[in-house]
Amino acid sequence: MAPSKYDAIVIGSGITGGWAAKELTEKGLRTLVLEAGRPIVPEKDYVEHVPSWEMPYRGMKDRRKLEKEQPIQSLCYACEEVNSNFFVKDTEHPYTTAPDKPFWWIRGRQVGGRSILWGRQSYRWSDLDFAANLRDGIAVDWPIRYADLAPWYDYVEQFIGVSGEAMGLAQLPDGKFLPPMELTCAEKTVKEAVAKSFGPERVLTIGRVAVLTQDHNGRAPCHYCGPCHRGCISLSYFSSVNATLPAAEKTRRLTLRPFSTVHSLIFDSKTRRITGVRVIDTNTREALEFNAPLIFLCASTLESARILLNSATPEFPNGLANSSGEVGHNLMDHIKAGGARGIVPGHEKMRTIGNRPNIAYMPRFRNVKDQRHDFIRGYGMQAYSFQDDWRRGAMEVDFGADFKRRISDPGPWNFIFEGYGECLPRYDNFVEIDKNTVDAWGIPSLRIHCAFGENELALRKDASISATEMLSASGAREIQPFRDSDPPGFSIHEMGTARMGRDPKTSVLNSWNQSHDIKNLFITDGACMTSSGCANPSLTYMALTARACDYAVNQLKRGEL
Amino acid sequence: MRRREVLKLLVTGSVLPTLSPPLLAACREIHEAITESKSLKALSVHQHATLIAMAELILPRTDTPGAKDTNVNLFIDRILADWCTIAERDRFLTGLADVDRRAQSLFQKNFVDSSVAQQTEILRGLGEELAEAVAAVASGARGNRGSTPEPQDNFYLQFRKLTLTGYFTSEPGFTQQLGQEIVPGRFDSCAPVRSAVQTKGS
Repeated sequence: MAPSKYDAIVIGSGITGGWAAKELTEKGLRTLVLEAGRPIVPEKDYVEHVPSWEMPYRGMKDRRKLEKEQPIQSLCYACEEVNSNFFVKDTEHPYTTAPDKPFWWIRGRQVGGRSILWGRQSYRWSDLDFAANLRDGIAVDWPIRYADLAPWYDYVEQFIGVSGEAMGLAQLPDGKFLPPMELTCAEKTVKEAVAKSFGPERVLTIGRVAVLTQDHNGRAPCHYCGPCHRGCISLSYFSSVNATLPAAEKTRRLTLRPFSTVHSLIFDSKTRRITGVRVIDTNTREALEFNAPLIFLCASTLESARILLNSATPEFPNGLANSSGEVGHNLMDHIKAGGARGIVPGHEKMRTIGNRPNIAYMPRFRNVKDQRHDFIRGYGMQAYSFQDDWRRGAMEVDFGADFKRRISDPGPWNFIFEGYGECLPRYDNFVEIDKNTVDAWGIPSLRIHCAFGENELALRKDASISATEMLSASGAREIQPFRDSDPPGFSIHEMGTARMGRDPKTSVLNSWNQSHDIKNLFITDGACMTSSGCANPSLTYMALTARACDYAVNQLKRGEL
Repeated sequence: MRRREVLKLLVTGSVLPTLSPPLLAACREIHEAITESKSLKALSVHQHATLIAMAELILPRTDTPGAKDTNVNLFIDRILADWCTIAERDRFLTGLADVDRRAQSLFQKNFVDSSVAQQTEILRGLGEELAEAVAAVASGARGNRGSTPEPQDNFYLQFRKLTLTGYFTSEPGFTQQLGQEIVPGRFDSCAPVRSAVQTKGS
């Protein structure tokens, strides 16, 4: 066989594929990145500054088109009138669930994947998370601890740029932060009131966010236009397109191939290695094959599982790299939608100038020191403060010049606390290939079986209760507790399906994100997660990817792969 | 004179001087009506006129442009034609017809032909009914994330929503009336509201 053109293939160009591309090329490997979607050119494709008056529906979206083509994607707040093409067409990407077990799968297929759309919240996990399964006797133990990942968190944060406040909390370790963004006056009020009533265990802080507050690695600070999920021409928030792919490009060892839908992996039973990747050209539908001695699968939690399951061989009849039988299983998300809202009094004559692309955050406070009896694990609280705007005028009876002037000023300060709770890994939350459903490229789709369990629902309930308590302690009025029924998937924090673990019999990947079964296969997207923690997971995926790349390149150079 | 002939005359400039001024004005009126009805996608010329009058009462021209200046009416026409469901559009148009019905029963003329005082009275009536509808659902199921429940299928509420949206998302609404910028370039977490600044300054 002729020597392959590439030393490595990365499948996917999202938040982890971009990191794999950067790390592998910078370490000297000629790397092919396969991306199913279209290329993204910031100057042409970013639309964050399109004013509302240039939108035909003024931000109300092309409702008829979205209902027809993107009924699931358009449920996501980030899927707007001008950027809905950053989300897949549901009509081209079908998947199935049981009617009583909905799962909302939000997807972006383009260079950069969902890193263009993500919420940018960036938190380190701690040993409260990495040791949780062992402590509770649930699922399997993580094969790593915080100390293994800490230097890689440093490394990733220093590159991407995370603004935030150091707090010295064991459950949410501090990072290498850029200057924090400011809390609003309402957030400061709530912060002080909660500290007074609940002590140092409940701290409200500004979100740790991958948005720059000063020049950083050649990228400009935020200009506070607001809608990051439409792109950012000043590259101020981290995405593959804004940072990692340009870094990989600089090495001249990157080959980025958009419009490359991966069908499956090619396994050679003699060498027990993956020798190549089967690709369908997204535009021409031509079947192609690419080869390399090292494969990084970074297609996203569910797509990576789908590729493995669609790559079954006689040796692996239940899916490639699946001798454990765990591929596709232990699917997790975070459970949100438990919280409360209210009106925080005061500051009526104050407003914000600029649109801060960030929330306030309260790190986990449940089951940190004391142990609850009604649930294990915990939740972090995302906090949103915003003033009523002109929209409040619709439900009023006034009209005329005074009305026009009055509703042009911002109104009272709303405050919402919403918990993001940890989901437990359970074997019976899983995906399988739905043989009766194929996507627009003829590739078999997934059937998703996923539901929240009792522990998750108890977390949602408790988040609503504690949110209500804290708003009450802040003197808020019109407090409304809520427990909405958002189904799994909708936090867009899918995890599991190819978990890391110590034992090849019960896990898919080892402590280096390397397949137990197939040595030249690494999976570093959310599929690898052994538990779900309660903090937003992307920073951890990135740290795991950089760490796995370092290991893989060393192994490759030593001839161990 | 048939419409087509009038149009022919209008485009044939040489004929114009021979037309008497009243006839010329009539031609212009017909021409405008045709252009208007052609540019409208869902509304008739009369419905359009009613909408303009109502919207301008809600958000009149002051030291800043008003609803009509910012073509709120055309935005609503587009929403009715390309965005609403057929049922929603029918409900809206029925609501609009009901505004005329109210004007007829109170003042024996259509809304557009009523005086501003009479139009104001009709909107107040619609507002009282909206307030009752809002109160009726207030204790019912909350919306997403505990948001305030809204009465369903209320024409006046939909009309007000679309009017406010059309206005405040227009360029004058956003830049002049709200004083906002697309690229603020900074974040100030706690600044005084504009009217407070203006009051202090004056």
